[in-house]
Amino acid sequence: MTDRTGTFESVAPAVAETRPPGTAGKWGRVVLKGLIPWIVVIAIWEIAAASGWNGAVLFPPPSAFIAYAVESDFRVGFGADAMPIPMAIVISAVRVLVGLAIGFAAALITGIVISAFSTISDMLLPLIRGLAPIAPIAWIPLGIVLFGIGNPTAIFVVFMGVYFILTISTVAAVNAVDQRLIKTARSFGASKPQVWTQVIFPAVLPQVFTMLRINFFAAWMAVLAAEMVGVKNGLGMMIILGREMFNTKLILLGMCMVGATGYLVDVLLVQIQRKILWWQPAP
Amino acid sequence: MTTLACHSVGKVWPGAGGLAVTALADINLTVENGEFVALLGPSGCGKSTLLELIAGLEPLSSGRITLDNKPVTGPEPGVVMVFQDHSLFPWLSVKDNVGFGLAMKKVPKPEREERVAKMLSRVRLSKFADHRPHQLSGGMKQRVAIARALVESPEFIMMDEPFAALDFQTRVLMQRFLLEVWSEFKPTIIFVTHHIDEAVLLADRVVVMSAGPGRIVEEVRIDLPRPRRMTDPGFNDYRTRLTETLEREVMRASDDDGLAAIAGSVSDAA
Ligand SMILES: Nc1ncnc2c1ncn2[C@@H]1O[C@H](COP(=O)(O)OP(=O)(O)OP(=O)(O)O)[C@@H](O)[C@H]1O
Ligand SMILES: [Mg+2]
Repeated sequence: MTDRTGTFESVAPAVAETRPPGTAGKWGRVVLKGLIPWIVVIAIWEIAAASGWNGAVLFPPPSAFIAYAVESDFRVGFGADAMPIPMAIVISAVRVLVGLAIGFAAALITGIVISAFSTISDMLLPLIRGLAPIAPIAWIPLGIVLFGIGNPTAIFVVFMGVYFILTISTVAAVNAVDQRLIKTARSFGASKPQVWTQVIFPAVLPQVFTMLRINFFAAWMAVLAAEMVGVKNGLGMMIILGREMFNTKLILLGMCMVGATGYLVDVLLVQIQRKILWWQPAP
Repeated sequence: MTTLACHSVGKVWPGAGGLAVTALADINLTVENGEFVALLGPSGCGKSTLLELIAGLEPLSSGRITLDNKPVTGPEPGVVMVFQDHSLFPWLSVKDNVGFGLAMKKVPKPEREERVAKMLSRVRLSKFADHRPHQLSGGMKQRVAIARALVESPEFIMMDEPFAALDFQTRVLMQRFLLEVWSEFKPTIIFVTHHIDEAVLLADRVVVMSAGPGRIVEEVRIDLPRPRRMTDPGFNDYRTRLTETLEREVMRASDDDGLAAIAGSVSDAA
């Protein structure tokens, strides 16, 4: 985090170098630094609301919407649509993760297969490059027409949103694989298929995964949008429900959950990248 | 246990917009079964290129290369290469890197693990079996690359400056280790180096190349009894002779680049 926070830190004497690596103290300090802005924003918000700020009706502070969640027993909606909030979080998160996983796997396979056959990649790449710029959200209407209302639509939207971009990035990564590694593998008796599975595939994984992470937020927004316009549950529906009931507490509670869940999924993706796909040279 | 023959081998590296490089022109070289040949030459004269051609990794532009009288058409089993930049697979542990060739050839896992463990202890890296390449020093990476080649019990070994990143002590140990392997299994070896002493110490024959385009300018048979030491009588004669040839070639190569002054200081250092 420190490297990205801007000029002041990078100009300042290298404090970061002097502390012992990998200690609990370091972690504590990083977390603390990240929390400070939150605490400041929430404090200002709470104080404003407590001192009679008019906007607090439209923007109820955390103390109000969290109290509301406790009051309503962490459930939203009525009758058949009623749903516990944790369930809404899990539903939305699972939708985006399943869509990302299928999109990632399919793009890797497509990208590697079409790279292996130049005629096929010459034919298909223009098509893929035409489809890639379409934002995930734009696939929602088509998803509803094709799959009706439900999980398949949400997953379809995420899939379409990342599949083409990741395919292009796979093809680019395959072209950029270090030729020396390929020569090394061949000299040690790797057959053509072995070169693809044992060298090219592991070599491109980290780069394509980085692209996946970059595109995660767009996919996340698309799932929520799909839930808002049709798919009948999840965090997106929670926010729409708040709008329909003119319940700003519910809206802000929903927004808060969307932010927190998105953040946690991103943390999960970073961990996967660090722990499993660590051989990407530092960008 | 392999005889190599290169007949007027040439290689032009393609390059866009008239940047094609003639790396090799008319190379004639024979390496006998079980012979240890050292290859010396100024930087950029095509030593690595020649090894890649012999390894069947790149097509020739002209000429013919045969191993045991069979033309080389692709990588051959029993022929291994230690690449100049060690070329380890970053996602594999040290032991999986060393076992890579065996795995590609579908050697059963128990046998593979046994051979890898033995080889790692011979290059003194047993403790690092589960480390990743990025956790190793440059010299350790080179030893892994050497282990990866030797674990195959190869008949023909090509080594591209394999000891360049090693400290003096380790270099001496690795030279001894290589000579041990060589006298034990008698593989044919081509060994690229920039160190004249190392060439004279190890090789039966030293081949000197020149640049622009790469050619063979001199071949010197080293008639010194083994084991050799740098203090042996006669060692210095070989060293002087090769130094003179190489200096001349380095100067000539860099005259073409207009860098003679720099090259002068380089050859002083060598
Ligand atoms: N893959 C390649 N594509 C294009 N040109 C190449 C390639 N490999 C080498 N060359 C060119 O061929 C020439 C010979 O290079 P090579 O690497 O064989 O030299 P070398 O003798 O091994 O040098 P060094 O001692 O510095 O390793 C150089 O001019 C280089 O630019
Ligand atoms: Mg070289």
